[in-house]
Amino acid sequence: MTFRIKLFIVFTFALLLSVGLVAVGVTAVTRRAFDQLNHQYSDAAVAQFSREFARRELDVTHLVQGIADAESTVRMAIDLSRPQSDVSIYVNDAHGVAQSHQLDFLDFVSSDGSIVSSAEWAARFGYKMVWVTQPVDWPSRGSFLMKVDTPNGPELGVIAVSTVRVGDKNLYVVGGQRLGKEFLASLVLPTGMRALLYQNLTPDFQSHILLDQSGPVAQADRFAPFIERAKQQSSQQRFEIFWTGNPASAEEFHALSLMGRQGDLLGVILVGSSQYEVVTLTRRIRLLALGVVGVGVCLGILLSWWGAAGVTRPVLQLAEGARRVSAGDWETRVDVKGRNEIGELARTFNHMTEQLNEQRERLVQAERVAAWREIARRLAHELKNPLFPLQTTVENLQRAKERNPEQFEEVFRESTGILLSEIDTLEKIVGRFSDFAKMPQPELGPVKLNDVVRSVLKLFEAQFSAVGRPPITPEMHLDDELPTIQADLTLLHRAIENLVLNAMDAMPAGGVVMLRTTHDACEVHLEISDTGQGLTPEECERLFTPYYTTKQHGTGLGLAIVQSVVSDHGGRISVESESGVGTSFHIALPIARPQPPPTEVPAMAEAERI
Amino acid sequence: MALPASTARRPRYGGTLRVEIAAALNSLDPAVAAPNPEISSAKDQFVELIGSARADRSSPTSASASPFRITAWEPAKHATLVANDESAGGHPFVDSIEIQMGRSAKDRLLDLELSKTDLAEIPAEEARRAAERGVRLSTSQPDELIALVFVSARPLAEDSRAREALAQAIDRASIANFILQKEGEPAGGLLPQWSSGTAFLFSTVADPGRAKEQWSRIAGSPKILLGYDAGDALEQAVAERIAVNAREAGISMSTIATPGSSPVPAKADAKLVRLRMSSSHPRIALTSFLAALDPVAGIDASPLPDSASPGQMFEREQAIVSSRWVVPLVWLPQVYGLGRRVRDWKAPGPGESWPLADVWLDDMGTTAGGAK
Repeated sequence: MTFRIKLFIVFTFALLLSVGLVAVGVTAVTRRAFDQLNHQYSDAAVAQFSREFARRELDVTHLVQGIADAESTVRMAIDLSRPQSDVSIYVNDAHGVAQSHQLDFLDFVSSDGSIVSSAEWAARFGYKMVWVTQPVDWPSRGSFLMKVDTPNGPELGVIAVSTVRVGDKNLYVVGGQRLGKEFLASLVLPTGMRALLYQNLTPDFQSHILLDQSGPVAQADRFAPFIERAKQQSSQQRFEIFWTGNPASAEEFHALSLMGRQGDLLGVILVGSSQYEVVTLTRRIRLLALGVVGVGVCLGILLSWWGAAGVTRPVLQLAEGARRVSAGDWETRVDVKGRNEIGELARTFNHMTEQLNEQRERLVQAERVAAWREIARRLAHELKNPLFPLQTTVENLQRAKERNPEQFEEVFRESTGILLSEIDTLEKIVGRFSDFAKMPQPELGPVKLNDVVRSVLKLFEAQFSAVGRPPITPEMHLDDELPTIQADLTLLHRAIENLVLNAMDAMPAGGVVMLRTTHDACEVHLEISDTGQGLTPEECERLFTPYYTTKQHGTGLGLAIVQSVVSDHGGRISVESESGVGTSFHIALPIARPQPPPTEVPAMAEAERI
Repeated sequence: MALPASTARRPRYGGTLRVEIAAALNSLDPAVAAPNPEISSAKDQFVELIGSARADRSSPTSASASPFRITAWEPAKHATLVANDESAGGHPFVDSIEIQMGRSAKDRLLDLELSKTDLAEIPAEEARRAAERGVRLSTSQPDELIALVFVSARPLAEDSRAREALAQAIDRASIANFILQKEGEPAGGLLPQWSSGTAFLFSTVADPGRAKEQWSRIAGSPKILLGYDAGDALEQAVAERIAVNAREAGISMSTIATPGSSPVPAKADAKLVRLRMSSSHPRIALTSFLAALDPVAGIDASPLPDSASPGQMFEREQAIVSSRWVVPLVWLPQVYGLGRRVRDWKAPGPGESWPLADVWLDDMGTTAGGAK
């Protein structure tokens, strides 16, 4: 994964996280605001119900008191106070009075609690209404909620009691208004809200007595558990009903218990507020937020990509510059834009490459000087050995000419032989230098490295077990799956010969020379190790320098040639050595066709030309 | 309301008698005449009057026993009868009779108070209130029985314990005193005391304790459904009172309004009926009652022989009452409201016609006449 992708992902993730947090926060705040608004509406509706209920109570109290104060009622009370009074003439009075005073319930009750006349249940005359005769100050008691018996069953009503006292007898006027759908219809509720009334007339939940302003409520059974809970806990309750699977169908209810005269629960008012508007509005806000988030994300992705590209482009240019430098293009420079850290980095890179280039130039110069010195030293060393015999032989010839002319012929023959021999030596020395300078370019072809290894060992078989020489044991560990490589068979053979020869020279007392081939996906590997005395670290560092040798009669070109061959094949060579254990050379050659070697002019070529 | 005899005056001829009745006949043919739903105790007499008057319409000059003949007829609304000079009894006192049909009790009472009518039938339960408002009343002997009849073949009605329980729960006195405003009297038997002389032998006292005991013996939780005529306010009031009585006695009961034309309600276990005596003769009246109850109740409805003695009639009556298939409740009189100028009107007894030929109109309207 590139740095740009990583940067892009980080930017995008940060953006998404920020936008997501904002969206969640906005949604939560909005939801809470709507909930609070909803609760305020519910509370307002409950308060309105309470006010309306109180007003209804006051109205009922006034109406009943008005009936009690009416002349006809007073006359009735006077008449009923007489002994043997005929109550039958009043049996139908309550109905008319109730209608004229817009009361749903009205009973005239005599002093002993007998019903004289009943509006809501005319046929109940003569029966007792005992509770009204209890010693209660009814006028100060005001109205209260009560369960009223009617021919159609019990009903809930706001009831007030007033008394007309004549002598020692009372006429009780018990009147009230029905608390039902008409009362609910009188409540003015905001759109989306409704009020329901459950009349707690039976021990068990009855769905048909859960009313709204139009009558029994549909799906009333859904309210059963909440009504039961409200019946058990007189405190206000809140609950929510989902009418369908759609959250917009939800309705939140506020349950308010209605207590009777004796503190008994007679009804439950449910103020419901539809969540449709809230849910719909929340959905709209959420959709809007999602739209904004979507646009923001798209914009953020583009900006992130642009930002990441802006950051990584100079970095990529730096990387490309570094790659070119590593590939040998020391003149690579990076465009410097901006004054930020990346620009500073680019300037530093350019400065670094300039410095490296200068140091490289100086190093090349130093190495070139060192090489010339080494060449000069080796050349002087090589040439010095044959020159000394040449000098002494020539001096012998001069002395023999001067002192012993008779022996001159014999000395001459011997001296010329020596001179020719040393000149031959000089030619060989010059020839070797010439050969090294004229190392040919490899002619590549399919080569099986195992075959080359076997061939080299076969070549040295006789020398491994030569008489008068400590034996050397060859070992081969060849990879049977070794792939064919593209190489110059002759050059490769020569390089391996040199390494085997080097190993033999390193083991004057005999030992083991081991050749191992392996491969991986890209390269084949050849390890040639001996069990000689090993090399010092300094020797390892200079081992491949031309004309450097640790042997008394070596030319110092063997390993230089090996390195040249390996390099010309696009491979690499390294050495590991441990004092007293031995030395191992590792050659890695590419399986594919090797890249042509760099065009850099080797120091030795220049030396040859010189 | 009886008027003092000292105010009697000599009858005079002439004038138009204005009559308002509850019934509304759609046809001059009594066989197809369809009265309005409101119960009218005077319907029979009116039908008889119209029937007799109709016979003279085609030949107004022919001699007839009917003192009046129809000269105008507007179905269900209005009828005009004029004096028939060819009547065997001669020219009646009034020259004509204007009859308004289908008038409600409230309108009739109001018209009487405002002197817009001279004669109108008054529901018995309204009689007391009408008298208090100054209306002259003419009241007959109690000759109409309101009874509760259990419908045969209903499972609950077939249970004698249920019948006994309900019969014992009903407080007849309160019905008579409160609902009928003391214009009726509790009924224990199928015939009134003035007719049979044995009515006092039947108890009219409620016994809620016995009612509870009988009801408690019935297994399950049965519920009696009591039907009443949907167009009869009195029946409704009585039915609701019976429901209250039953409830106080622990009997589960509800009421249901049924069409008045339905002799046997579809669902009810029992129903309220009104039975008007067809004759003041007890045997005839009892026989007609039995014939009327036969389609409903599970009673022996065979007619009494002409030679039936009062003892036999009592036994038959007692057998029916003790079976509780029929529970007599109250006796009602026929009540008529009279205008100030109406004289010599007498509420007809069972089987009697309206004495319209005897009625005359006093032009001294403020002078009291000689009604009852």
